[in-house]
Amino acid sequence: MTTRYSRFLAAVFCVFLGGLLAWHVLLPDRDRSDVENRTLAQLPAFSWKGLKDGSFTKGVEDYFADQFPLRDQWTGLKARTEQLLGKREFKGVYLCGDALISKVEPPRDGLEEKNLRYVARLAESAEVPVYLGLIPSAAEIRRADLPEGAESWDQGAFIARAAELEGVEPVDFLTPLRDRAGEDLFYRTDHHWTTLGAFYGYAALLEALGREPPDMAAFPPETVSEDFRGTLYSQSGVHWLEPDSIEFWVEPEPGWTVTSWRSGRAEEAALYDRSYLEKKDQYSAFLGGNQPLCVIKNPEGTGRLLVIRDSYADSLAPFLAGSFAEVHLLDPRYYRYSAAGYAGEHGIDQIAVLYSVPNFITDRNLVLLTQ
Amino acid sequence: MVFSSLTFLFGYLPLTLALYFLTPLRRRNFVLLVVSLFFYGWGEPVYVGVMFLSIFIDYTHGLLVERFRSRDRLARWFVGQSVVFNLLLLGFFKYWDFLAANLSRLPGVSLPELGLPLPLGISFFTFQTMSYTIDVYRRDAPVQRNVVDFGAYVTLFPQLIAGPIVKYKTVAAELAERTVTSRDFAGGACRFTVGLAKKVLLANAAGALWESCLAAQGTGALTVAGGWTGLFAFGFQIYFDFSGYSDMAIGLGRILGFRFDENFDHPYLSASVGEFWRRWHMSLTSWFREYLYFPLGGSRGGRARTLRNLVIVWFCTGFWHGASWNFILWGLYFALWIILERFVFRDLLARTPVWLKRAYTLLVVFVGWGIFAMEDLGVCGRYLAVCFGGGPVWSALDGYRLRSWAVLLALLALGSTTLAADLWRTVPEKGRKALAPVLMVLGLVLSTAYLVDGSYNPFLYFRF
Repeated sequence: MTTRYSRFLAAVFCVFLGGLLAWHVLLPDRDRSDVENRTLAQLPAFSWKGLKDGSFTKGVEDYFADQFPLRDQWTGLKARTEQLLGKREFKGVYLCGDALISKVEPPRDGLEEKNLRYVARLAESAEVPVYLGLIPSAAEIRRADLPEGAESWDQGAFIARAAELEGVEPVDFLTPLRDRAGEDLFYRTDHHWTTLGAFYGYAALLEALGREPPDMAAFPPETVSEDFRGTLYSQSGVHWLEPDSIEFWVEPEPGWTVTSWRSGRAEEAALYDRSYLEKKDQYSAFLGGNQPLCVIKNPEGTGRLLVIRDSYADSLAPFLAGSFAEVHLLDPRYYRYSAAGYAGEHGIDQIAVLYSVPNFITDRNLVLLTQ
Repeated sequence: MVFSSLTFLFGYLPLTLALYFLTPLRRRNFVLLVVSLFFYGWGEPVYVGVMFLSIFIDYTHGLLVERFRSRDRLARWFVGQSVVFNLLLLGFFKYWDFLAANLSRLPGVSLPELGLPLPLGISFFTFQTMSYTIDVYRRDAPVQRNVVDFGAYVTLFPQLIAGPIVKYKTVAAELAERTVTSRDFAGGACRFTVGLAKKVLLANAAGALWESCLAAQGTGALTVAGGWTGLFAFGFQIYFDFSGYSDMAIGLGRILGFRFDENFDHPYLSASVGEFWRRWHMSLTSWFREYLYFPLGGSRGGRARTLRNLVIVWFCTGFWHGASWNFILWGLYFALWIILERFVFRDLLARTPVWLKRAYTLLVVFVGWGIFAMEDLGVCGRYLAVCFGGGPVWSALDGYRLRSWAVLLALLALGSTTLAADLWRTVPEKGRKALAPVLMVLGLVLSTAYLVDGSYNPFLYFRF
């Protein structure tokens, strides 16, 4: 190596390291990442206590990684490299043709059985019938599309097991979804079901509750977004798929009211919150996203239904609004009071626990059902 | 701090290099001492105290040995004192809980477990400083009178936490005076990048494969094929991780003006278990040979003495890797194979074709990795039982795994050979000149991408 060439190589090395450092320092810090849908770490304040227990240096490392220049591009580059190496799994998400499907890990600590027991206890203590509807995720419905031999926990067996739960009426989501597995039941870049998937869920729920099945022709679809990049897009780093589109099917009637308790107080809300369509987290356009409690009233509907639910019910709720006089949606992750007590106070006729299987087998809040 | 982190690469390293090269030559050891202490204190600031203590004790013992050289018994006494101090330091932080837990099983004994975190790299720096006093006594190294220079040697951040074990005599001259040419800097930067890519791109990927096979053991889904895939994956993980760290250390050393000895020489091409240990973690093997095996008498005291010495050395080698029974077992496992090779298979091996000897060595070594990797001997036993036929041969999951990791496994296997280096030599000078910066940038960019993504990036030597 000549001296000149050595200097050149050394300079390449130094410019790469020093250049990214300079960029990092000059780049203004961001509060949150829309792509990853989370708040980003900020530079921690120095304290001797923090230094001693290691939280300060840990904080600096988190800050350094979270605020790294071109963060999203690096993540995308990694996913591309992995794809080139023949990988089909990206951080727990399988790439299956043009769609991403989240892998379901086996439950831990027997949580799935515990949660079933909590539902059974709710059925014992409640004075009205309790229904349990477990929504299979795409990994179950589209199992044939997973990479050959790839693992995903058997949700079908668990749903069958849950259907035998004593004192609880099952809602069969598995069969209708499986029968239509070829349709677009799930978003390709998000773990939720599409409006079409939710409609089939609505039909299955009505059937289980002994009501007339709905007519699809009564719901004209309106495409409200064609650039939805969901949670799996963020989680996997696979950024090269076509974005999803989102449809609204229900036209709210003037007499319907939606009340949300987001901050402990009743606030007027809507079945669809179009402001989210301008943001990254577009799925939250359904019902305005996560909230402890939401009550939908329709003077023309019949019956009072309490739904204990996860976010899959957000896109189901607009359909339910048309059928019931009152739909109470309660999310145990945020609502910390007794579900049976709530049902008693509000004259509920039927309770439906509607959960996606991946959430049901990992949720640690369902113990609230026993209070 | 570890090399394979964003904070090191894009914070600590550029700032340290800038500071180092802006400092006049004679003050550079002081800068090295300060930045190395910062590097060390990053994870566990309290343990900087341990470092100071270690520097102080070994520095003074070196002086004492030199001072009383004419009175051999006294000089020996001080050597012994330094060795005992270092072993106590190591024993207290690394082995106390293990000893306490096991001794407390005896009736009437109850020792408390302290649960202290292990000071990073303690196994490396105590061995280095021990070698210093012994070398001074043996006149293999000059005594160091400057405490800053000595401190810079003990804390030298490139090799502080994961080796190689740099003996004092190797760097004594460079501590006093060293020059860094642009060739050293460029060569060091290339070496560092190679090491970084080995760790971040290859070792971590192999590690993820190993974890997935180990998890299958936990759920009872392990097959013969999966078991062996896992053993190979772990063997590749530890090789690329460890030799990658050594590459990074050697590269950084060169950038700073030090020449450390090589630590790995394509160990998976060895044709015997004995040869494997001459090519794997060479600085550790040679340390034990020089400071334990030879002083014990080596192989000069007849067969029984040799056997005893081999068992002692391999017990210590195993135990050095971690305070747990599986590491002891792992060391003794190698003692067994080395004794067999020396006293039983000798003639047989001489007549065996090289490819078969290599296959035999790989088999022994990779089964050994199983013992090394699984601390819980129950898990380890069940895992190895499956590997040797105690389970179904194949499952669909194995097919998926092999398809997903096929390219990487091929890269890992080829990367363990001399193929890349041989190919590199066949490229004409002009091509190499054009390719080197491209490959360097590619290595840095891809490693950065994998680090930013915050994927699986374990640090394997926290137990060493």
